[in-house]
Amino acid sequence: MIAALSEVALALAAALAFSSLLLLALGYDAASSLLTMFSYGFGNPEYLAAVAAPLVLSALAFLIPFKAGMFNIGGEGQAYLGALLFLYASQGLGALGIAAGALAGALLGGLVGALRAFLGVNEVIASIMINWTLFYVTLFSVSKYLTHPEYPHRSIDVGFSLGAPYSLLLAALAALAAYALLYRTLLGYEIRVVGSSPRAAAYAGIDARRAAVISMAIGGLFGGLAGTLKVMYVGHIDATMSALFGVGFLGIGVALIGRANPLGSVASALLLAGMIIGGHWMELRLGTPPELTDVIVGTTVLVLSAPYALKLLLKGGGLGGG
Amino acid sequence: MVEAELWAFIAVSSVAYMTPILLVTIGEIIAERSGVVNIGVEGILLASAFAAVAAAFFSGSAALGVASGALAGALIGALFGLFAVYLRADQIIAGLAINLSSYGFTVLGLIALWGHHGASPRVEAELPYFSLGQGSVPLLSLLALLIAAVAWLLLFRTRAGLALRACGEEPSAAYAMGVNVRLYRMAAVVLGGALAGLGGSFLALELAGSFTRGMSAGMGFIALANVAFSGWNPLPAILGAYVFGFLSAAADALQQEVGYAYLLKTLPYLGTLAAAALLGRRSIRPPQRLGVPF
Repeated sequence: MIAALSEVALALAAALAFSSLLLLALGYDAASSLLTMFSYGFGNPEYLAAVAAPLVLSALAFLIPFKAGMFNIGGEGQAYLGALLFLYASQGLGALGIAAGALAGALLGGLVGALRAFLGVNEVIASIMINWTLFYVTLFSVSKYLTHPEYPHRSIDVGFSLGAPYSLLLAALAALAAYALLYRTLLGYEIRVVGSSPRAAAYAGIDARRAAVISMAIGGLFGGLAGTLKVMYVGHIDATMSALFGVGFLGIGVALIGRANPLGSVASALLLAGMIIGGHWMELRLGTPPELTDVIVGTTVLVLSAPYALKLLLKGGGLGGG
Repeated sequence: MVEAELWAFIAVSSVAYMTPILLVTIGEIIAERSGVVNIGVEGILLASAFAAVAAAFFSGSAALGVASGALAGALIGALFGLFAVYLRADQIIAGLAINLSSYGFTVLGLIALWGHHGASPRVEAELPYFSLGQGSVPLLSLLALLIAAVAWLLLFRTRAGLALRACGEEPSAAYAMGVNVRLYRMAAVVLGGALAGLGGSFLALELAGSFTRGMSAGMGFIALANVAFSGWNPLPAILGAYVFGFLSAAADALQQEVGYAYLLKTLPYLGTLAAAALLGRRSIRPPQRLGVPF
């Protein structure tokens, strides 16, 4: 726990240092920008909850298949499909639309898992192809069938909304359920064995194909829910998908900064949500582009990808305490 | 447009569309043959497209733009190699990190240089063409074919190529024979990055004429799929790149003819997915130690 925290803190510090240099090189006020990001990002708890909730879920979408040794890069497409089906289903079904969004994501995730398990299709490539296909399918549906009668640049309004605090509560419950599934059930154990040692899993008679399909379906379910919560808060899908775009990809960063732990992902989602909100303040007050957040998340993940790099940094900086 | 003329047009413009896919594929084949999988090529494509447009815009020289794109690709390849090869990082995660950072970095640059959130101004600097009978082909497209042939020779007909493939198949054996495995892998990743960077330059300067945010749009991953389709061989990769180039060219040309622009855009992605599903279980296997740090 302490080790994980110090590794994440160190990686974040390295990323912030790199980002400051980048800002300086591009002619922005680095110190004020980062100060604004962190001091203004966490001021509005309700907004923080609204931004964090979908990120918790898209992190879980990556995390469960990751434990089974698979890379679900398809959280993005699962979020698009979940958002689209929730938007449609909530018109007549209200709250039941949430189930439609989640189920759509689960079917999509399960499909990618089955493609991998039975046809040998690399899940990373399949996921990216499906992401872009659904990107255009969503744009098509919004512009052709779900257009708002008065505002042609966006879809009709959602038929149901939970509100930010309940969204975060739902996301936190999902994280607890994911934790219980992974560490307190036989299925979770099987998923983890397949992920950490496929040969041991085969020797123990665990069906790796089943683990692949089920873990991807559960991941997809969370991905669909991530899109559902996002569109629920925004209220509609706009014609450029600006609100939905990136929810799935950022979830990967959230999961990895949360050290691939469901509960760590909640903490990391809150942190990143604050940075995203702070990023908009940064733009408003200083004109610094909010995409800086993507750079910070990306570089943090890069440093975290190499445990050996962290060891060197901990030794070099004298922060290791050992 | 008359039907036959339209398809002829698409068939010819596919040569331009296939070029970035082919260049990324060749670079990734070299990297994967050495044992390193770099899914960061998507981000390299994007970042080098940006670098090429920025250099060409401010210098007015297309050649300088292309050189800058290739250099940016090599540098990001080196950064990835530092983590993936020397720091023994998880290669997929390091690649994802490159993709995420590149997206943020290029939008940041877009706003810093031109004050725009979506796209750069058009770049007037033009890349050279090669006249061929009635029509003409971009010189870089021909160069890409030549690079494919050279890469094949390098990989399968030289001692260095043999050593590089040994690093991907049996790195410990290669090491025992005196091959500097990490150096070979690093060189392969840097070369792969430079080729992807060349592809990014072509994408921005030739196909688009400007930089738009997220313009690589999965093209790097289509190339990654093509690596497997080709059986990690640069020559069959030409055919695969042409097929995917054809789907992109058809999507762009047909959307002016029929109304369903958004749905046509899905063509290259669905084509790649279908090809992956049909060819998923073939006898050609990837390099034995692909993705495993040494």
